[in-house]
Amino acid sequence: MRIRREFFLWADTMLIVVVLLTGCAEVVQMGTTVGQQMGTISSEDKERFDRMAQETAKATRPMTDQEEYYVGRAVAATILGQYRLYPNESLIRYVNEVGQDIALASDRPFTYGGYHFAILDTEEVNALSCPGGIIFVTRGMLKRVKNEEELAAVLAHEVGHVNHKDGIAAIQRARWVQVATLLGAEAAKKVSGADLAQLVSLFEGSVNDVVKTLIVNGYSREQEEAADLGAMAFMYRAGYDPHGLSNGLERLAKEQTGGTKEGLLTTHPGMKERLAKAKAVITENKWPQTPHPARDQRFRQVFR
Amino acid sequence: MKKQVWIILLGVLLTASVALAAPLKVIIQEATIRKDKRFFAPVVARVAYGEVIQELERRGDWLRVSYRGKEGWIHISAVQEQKFQLSSLSTARAQETSREEVALAGKGFTPEVEKAFREKNPKMRYDLVDQVQGYKVAEPRLQAFIRAGNLKEPGGAR
Repeated sequence: MRIRREFFLWADTMLIVVVLLTGCAEVVQMGTTVGQQMGTISSEDKERFDRMAQETAKATRPMTDQEEYYVGRAVAATILGQYRLYPNESLIRYVNEVGQDIALASDRPFTYGGYHFAILDTEEVNALSCPGGIIFVTRGMLKRVKNEEELAAVLAHEVGHVNHKDGIAAIQRARWVQVATLLGAEAAKKVSGADLAQLVSLFEGSVNDVVKTLIVNGYSREQEEAADLGAMAFMYRAGYDPHGLSNGLERLAKEQTGGTKEGLLTTHPGMKERLAKAKAVITENKWPQTPHPARDQRFRQVFR
Repeated sequence: MKKQVWIILLGVLLTASVALAAPLKVIIQEATIRKDKRFFAPVVARVAYGEVIQELERRGDWLRVSYRGKEGWIHISAVQEQKFQLSSLSTARAQETSREEVALAGKGFTPEVEKAFREKNPKMRYDLVDQVQGYKVAEPRLQAFIRAGNLKEPGGAR
């Protein structure tokens, strides 16, 4: 009996700890109430756990889609301070048609402000996504893609990053906790001038975190591979041939070995490893390489 | 002792079912409720950010909902379950949390923060961001693009 009781005590505490970590205060309350009823925790402990859970939940509230949108706009505004937009209307329309189709086939077809695809006027070979769905592809990258499938693959990879909220994940955790703490403490009052100034500087810091990751550091290998995996799934659902991704990666991997190191090739390392993973996924799913004459033809018309 | 546990479990289950029938909040700028569970189905209603709709049924990624007397389907990525529903069992706590929620909703990274950030950083090219956000593809055009390219209409068979 003693052993059983101790086991329950241990199990109760572990449950509360696990739930505390996940930050759901309501579930903790249910757990502590049960625990108290069964006599495994005291009423003081219950109060303490409930309070901890509420504070943790507040400090770790996830960023809302609307907040992600405002961070994304600022990231885009920063990038557009460094690069010019390429004003080729038929190309912009075509890139947006392919991109919108891919976005609808993705796991997150809707974001607060929607998906928008723009072309940066630079020879650098790169593509980047701002949180929330503004996606940039460079003129240099558009010169590399050989058909609509490969263009879809580039855009689908970036939609993958938006789906996975990789941009937002680049924001230092301590910074976001500070935002949440500031809001929690001031919840009942209107934002004062000093609070707004502090929020703006936290916003600025968050935007810099994302920009630095996009332009300088790049995402982790795991994030890149997850974006590739998502990209192939979205392409398949939309009716594109996922080989577009492996074919594009293959060419970029060759260039990387060739020694050109700028833009994409510095922020997207390990092309060969990504290529191997992509090929493995294609084999596993038995996706056949299919001809797509209608799409090839319209690609040539826009890109001639 | 055993009876008590069952009563508590029953209570937890009841509370959980209250949470399942929770109203949904629209989390995108402009959402559409459709006649059928497809992206290009005819539009039944347009719903703005923050509006609350009621869930009636869930089929994969699509939810059948009602909004101002109209019924239709909305994609799951356009909405979020409203939080703090569990505390509605206790009226006093519910009022407290909803007040807090209202206060929080108007804070964080808001338009007000963006405005102050822009004033502080006048070289930021927000004008170009607005231009890019104007890049849109009308639905009939996208449908035509999908058909002409022998692509699949997304969201149908999932």
